[in-house]
Amino acid sequence: MLLIRCPYCEAERPEVEFTYAGEAHIARPADPSALSDDEWRDFLFIRTNPRGRHFERWRHMHGCGRFFNAVRDTVTDKFSMTYKAGAPRPSDEEIALASSATADSAASVKDARP
Amino acid sequence: MLLANHPLLGKTITGDTASKLTIRAAEDVARFSLRIDPVAVQAAGAAFGTPLPTRIGGVVEAGGRMALQLGPDEWVLTAPVAESDAIADAFAALGETHSLVDIGHREVGILVEGEAAALALRSAIAFDVEAMAVGTGCRTLFDKAQIVLIREDKNRFRIEVWRSFADHVWGILHAVSREIALGL
Amino acid sequence: MSNFRIAGKGRVNRSRQLRFSFDGVDYTGYEGDTLASALLANGVHLVGRSFKYHRPRGILTAGSEEPNALVGSNRGNGRFEPNTRATVLEVFEGLKTESQNRWPSLTRDIGAVNDALYMLFSAGFYYKTFMWPKSFWDKVYEPVIRNAAGLGKAPTAPDPDSYASRFAHCDVLVVGGGAAGLAAALEAGRSGASVILCDEQSEIGGSLLAEPTAEINGQLAWDWLEDTNAALAAMPNVTVLPRTTAIGYYHQNFVGLCQRLTDHLRIVPDGAPRERMWKVRAKQVVLAQGAIEKPLVFAGNDRPGVMLAGAARTYLNRYGVKVGNWVVAVTSHDSAWHAAFDLAKAGVEVAAIVDVRGTVPTQLVAAADALRIRTLIGWTVTGTKGRLRVSSVRVNPVGPGGKVGGAETIACDTLLMSGGWTPSIHLFSHTQGSLTWNEDGQMFLPGRGKEECRLAGAGKGRFGLKAAFEDGAAAGSAAAADAGFAAQPAAYHVEGELSFTGVTGHELPTDRDPGHAKAFVDFQNDVMAKDIRLAVREGFKSIEHIKRYTTNGMATDQGKLSNINGLAVASDALKRPIPAVGLTTFRPPYTPTSFGTFAGYNKGALFEVTRKTPIDGWAEENGAVYEPVSLWRRAWYFPQVGEDMHAAVARECKAVRTSVGMFDASTLGKIEIVGPDAAEFMNRMYTNAWTKLAPGRCRYGLLLGEDGFIRDDGVIGRLAQDRFHVTTTTGGAARVLGMMEDYLQTEWPDLKVWLTSTTEQWSVIALQGPNARKLIEPFVEGIDLSEGAFPHMAVATGKICGVPTRLFRVSFTGELGFEINVPARYGRAVWEKLFEAGQRFGITPYGTETMHVLRAEKGYIIVGQDTDGTLTPDDAGLSWAVGKTKPDFVGKRSLSRPDMLAANRKQLVGLLTSDPKTVLEEGAQIVLDPNQPVPMDMVGHVTSSYWSAELGRSIAFAVIQGGRSLQGKTVHVPMPDKVHSATITGMVFVDPENTRLSA
Repeated sequence: MLLIRCPYCEAERPEVEFTYAGEAHIARPADPSALSDDEWRDFLFIRTNPRGRHFERWRHMHGCGRFFNAVRDTVTDKFSMTYKAGAPRPSDEEIALASSATADSAASVKDARP
Repeated sequence: MLLANHPLLGKTITGDTASKLTIRAAEDVARFSLRIDPVAVQAAGAAFGTPLPTRIGGVVEAGGRMALQLGPDEWVLTAPVAESDAIADAFAALGETHSLVDIGHREVGILVEGEAAALALRSAIAFDVEAMAVGTGCRTLFDKAQIVLIREDKNRFRIEVWRSFADHVWGILHAVSREIALGL
Repeated sequence: MSNFRIAGKGRVNRSRQLRFSFDGVDYTGYEGDTLASALLANGVHLVGRSFKYHRPRGILTAGSEEPNALVGSNRGNGRFEPNTRATVLEVFEGLKTESQNRWPSLTRDIGAVNDALYMLFSAGFYYKTFMWPKSFWDKVYEPVIRNAAGLGKAPTAPDPDSYASRFAHCDVLVVGGGAAGLAAALEAGRSGASVILCDEQSEIGGSLLAEPTAEINGQLAWDWLEDTNAALAAMPNVTVLPRTTAIGYYHQNFVGLCQRLTDHLRIVPDGAPRERMWKVRAKQVVLAQGAIEKPLVFAGNDRPGVMLAGAARTYLNRYGVKVGNWVVAVTSHDSAWHAAFDLAKAGVEVAAIVDVRGTVPTQLVAAADALRIRTLIGWTVTGTKGRLRVSSVRVNPVGPGGKVGGAETIACDTLLMSGGWTPSIHLFSHTQGSLTWNEDGQMFLPGRGKEECRLAGAGKGRFGLKAAFEDGAAAGSAAAADAGFAAQPAAYHVEGELSFTGVTGHELPTDRDPGHAKAFVDFQNDVMAKDIRLAVREGFKSIEHIKRYTTNGMATDQGKLSNINGLAVASDALKRPIPAVGLTTFRPPYTPTSFGTFAGYNKGALFEVTRKTPIDGWAEENGAVYEPVSLWRRAWYFPQVGEDMHAAVARECKAVRTSVGMFDASTLGKIEIVGPDAAEFMNRMYTNAWTKLAPGRCRYGLLLGEDGFIRDDGVIGRLAQDRFHVTTTTGGAARVLGMMEDYLQTEWPDLKVWLTSTTEQWSVIALQGPNARKLIEPFVEGIDLSEGAFPHMAVATGKICGVPTRLFRVSFTGELGFEINVPARYGRAVWEKLFEAGQRFGITPYGTETMHVLRAEKGYIIVGQDTDGTLTPDDAGLSWAVGKTKPDFVGKRSLSRPDMLAANRKQLVGLLTSDPKTVLEEGAQIVLDPNQPVPMDMVGHVTSSYWSAELGRSIAFAVIQGGRSLQGKTVHVPMPDKVHSATITGMVFVDPENTRLSA
């Protein structure tokens, strides 16, 4: 069971409190009727399904109830970071920073108690 | 007025003679789900008569009224049953846009008390109950039932659960109390 | 009966004698014995028959890796467990056990003929032997051959035990309570970290339990162990769990532990769980699981009496049991020498030590000489004899160049073997940590890990007590430090350390044809070295394929003994080094684990949540038969004395159509939608138009997915300008709320509207029938119920029977009807009051079956029964519910995709069978031409089908390609008994003018 950090609760919580909600950053078109059949098909069904870094949606269903976004590696299952719904897709630098921050915080815990 | 049929009412599980664990149905309360933009939280607190907590998980309790923040714009409010209408009226007069929904009959309260209270809850709750701060609450899962858990004191927890899930939660707590009484 | 217990040896409690039985024979053992040690103490080696060949088998090991000694254990009252390893089964007073896979008895087993039919069962026998002739599958292979192969019989009675589960969070989890694990737990415990130490055995101590003469920091091992256990018990931050196996290691240091709580007890307290699954989340994990001794591969290595040397030493030193009277040891490792020495010192005749190595440490030879033990250095073992117990061993010298010389036979009743030790890296493998091949030690060692995890001691190839202690202490203090606690590893001084050198065995050289040698690699699955060579000859190169073809390592022991030997044999056959051949993957659970432990509390009444409405108790008292609907149990029908379902439903239907019926609709999903943008939100979610719906009025709402297919429906009441009371299907409640939250939070966060589930806030009583209004009128306050003031599809708040109500004038039956919502705690009281008052109308409670019939008579669909996630509103005949002038709603754009407009889509229609008495089966397929060849062209299927008492005939709904344009056409429903014919009709069978709704 994974631990997932909810960006609203600002806490790591067990995976059972969460539900997965598909790929992130696929906004519903403001005017669907303006889309061609192919464009609408792509919005409905076409996903990146990457091997490796994946931007995806989760919901803290049995917690604060909020949908949020996460960067997770589909090979290792490791979360690099989570962020609130509506926030822009983080850059490579931001993801790297968030990943190292997690590592740093582990190290700082060690230093905090000599 | 007709007889209210309260699930679990009057039920108690006493784990052992040392009273390391007692589980009982909580006295009924009025309950509301309040949804409001957090910028208006002060006005809402004024309407409720008790300031609302301002971080997720926070609990404020005063004069028999309790407010727990469950989400960015979600609070659960409880009060003595008799104050239900007064609270509804106070919020009806609130100028700020909000949603107040009566959920008094949706839920059942269960109190888990004693030295072994956290241990009992660990049987079916995945997060670190022992590390939960006193005076906080959260929504979580108890086995397969969604609950709201409030740590009222080091050795006292309150479970709020939808009424049709209460039997399931109660049944597991019953089994758990037996193993704790046996020291297993 | 001979007694093999040695006075003054071992740790079993000699003051507590226990009686137990094996295959009906009574024996005695002591508290602290396993079944294996107690049987050996009584001179019993033969305990089972092998999987394929029914070869007699004995006790091979002293631990959970045991592949042979599997027994059925009976703890009384239906508590029977097959395939229990005798080496881990603790003896208690009255324990009954039996051998498996033999008939008529263990000593005379008919199935042993398989041993002579080896060629039938060689590698890949499933794929070869059973292929031809085809008719033999049913008549011979399945019933006879499969029956002859196998393990114990599954119990037939339900498991009477209860099981528990517990989550735990700790700083450091230490797996394994031997020297390394204890040292790690001590360091972590002293640092103040929260620690869990688990060990699968009944006693903490690991190999120290078999090392009474070693001295640790000046103390004898067992004294040190006692003090250490006391020290750990005194630390409030340390939890020690014996009888607890770490079965699986999952992401982010989540480890499953199976704790056995009561199996070892003679009297189990009422309500005591048998086992508990611990779900541990540890900041740091130390794996100190030790090492597993390897068997040697030679002909006849599987006879009862042939056992691992370390096991023999454990039985002697821990249990005080000598495993035989005339012992020979064969080894490629020092450890068997020490076993032989200990046995000799205990008075056992050790006939010889055969070491396949060319040279051995001189002090071992000197010690053997001193004990007058014959040593055969550079010899090999080429066979054993003895039907039910080894009686002699055939040994040969190996000359220069590997030439095997002439044979000599040595009599013995026990043959000890040791091929060295394999670090137990199973849990590390669960984490997908990489393994590296250690050429010196001929073993796989942990490489790069993926978790916050360390290995220590023999489990990572650090053999010997001092190495284990110091490695464990280092791992424990480092783990504590990484968890935020300072620790300084202690040093250890050990006296009496055993020498620990050796070479890893490949198959032993022989002077005979290795193609005929019954040299076992996998004892549990009966795989021999020649099977693996056969697989290689037949073209298998990958160890993963060889494993599956030969089944090597695929038994319940997961190849704890066989994987590394199988790999060595394959490596020799492939002429490629072991690391190039690779290693198969270990998977959880580490040892076989009962289903009950995984289920935990979820059995019996707690198997799954059973949701009950506030009125459920009344239904139960009034004889309702229930059906499950999602997690709810709902009253299905209310049979009266002598009634079957058909009669009850017909009576219930008639009551609603002629007077009044009452139905518990509390399970309907309910969502309160509140806020100034509530109507706008409804417009975007549902197909219908909501802006003009006046407060106090209701509308049927249809919800689509973005793909345009029907997801849910329900009646929705507008209580106020900014407040809607939405109902959903019973099963769809949570899904619909989740979907709404998704759109609200992530697509339209600007809308000022909030959603709250009120499903359980309200009890809902449906009163349906021409007398419904007359019945409730006297009880309602504050609502004018007249047709003009409160017409069909109206909603109002007021009071009923003195309690608040949201009263809906709605009908799912076609009759005049109300749905009375009252706060849940009053549901039953209001129900009872109305039931009592309704007696003068012959009020009839009805269940879900009657509800289904009545709605079908009226042509109302049930989402999820008549729709299946591929129906559009038009397919379902619900185009009228789609607000076509609305600019957008969820799913609207999809409705104009080309496929959605295709002419031949399946459409929902009515069906009337030609024979009115025939009630079609729901799900039955429909064809246009019943005489076409098979496979027929199936154009649709039946979705709903009932007997209509009102019409005196059957009715049905079906989805049929282009169905609406085929009105009046005859279709056919081929069923096993006959082909039924039916006519396509409209869907409304009763009161098409809706006159009754406003009666």
